Amino acid sequence: MADPLINATLGIAASALQAQQARMRVIAENLANADSVSTTAGGDPYQRQISVFAPEEVQKGATGVKMTGVRPDATPFTIVHDPGNPAANANGDVKLPNVDPLTEALDMKEAQRAYEASLNVITTVRSMQMKTLNILTQQGG
Amino acid sequence: MGLDDIPLLAMLKSKMSYVNAREQVVAQNVANADTPGYTPQDLKPFSFAAMTEAAGAGLIVDQPGQMALSKSTKTGALKPVDTPDTEARIDGNQVVLEDQMNKLIQSRIDYETAVDFYQQSMSMITTAARAPGKSA
Repeated sequence: MADPLINATLGIAASALQAQQARMRVIAENLANADSVSTTAGGDPYQRQISVFAPEEVQKGATGVKMTGVRPDATPFTIVHDPGNPAANANGDVKLPNVDPLTEALDMKEAQRAYEASLNVITTVRSMQMKTLNILTQQGG
Repeated sequence: MGLDDIPLLAMLKSKMSYVNAREQVVAQNVANADTPGYTPQDLKPFSFAAMTEAAGAGLIVDQPGQMALSKSTKTGALKPVDTPDTEARIDGNQVVLEDQMNKLIQSRIDYETAVDFYQQSMSMITTAARAPGKSA
């Protein structure tokens, strides 16, 4: 019978891995759309998305994390003067997406760090379990 | 008389349960390293007296062969308390990954020490239980 505590710990770490991967997806969407202006004249371009995390119970008494959704970044759009652009409004101004590649790169680094931290937890718990099982093989020798 | 009645082995076993419970709390902290407003938790430092008190709240064993279930996971000695790390962020999250990794490594060292002690004790018991004159 598996130790419920070990399973809870692995479940918590697994939920963290999933949450960080979902965060990476949002970062990838932001980077891919860093130049997506509006398709209609004078309209709003792609708005940067921010991932939202919340604690979530993975097992009785064990709280992991889940990415519950995204919310739009309210930073104002950059406005450049480009009358030849199809997205330009009556004054010739075009709104550019509020995505800053540097911010996204830093966010990506943070997601990677958090991901590796949870991987460390899984590795440690697993090696502790293996060491416990080794009591059976080495005792009496 | 069971193995748990030998104080040394009972102490090692309760240390191992404590470390397992602490690993769960650390995993929770690491998982919530980006959740706004989250305060990391930790267990109170290990004390054998507190652990036996908590285990005493389990079921009564009155038949030979029954095992007492431990109810100590969330009561008393193994109850997590809020322990903020050294820094806090603007969104209220207070988890510092380096501090959590330190706790993880320390717990693992404690656990492996306890397991090694356990193995030594068991091999001593096996030696003592061997019939005289036999080598295996």
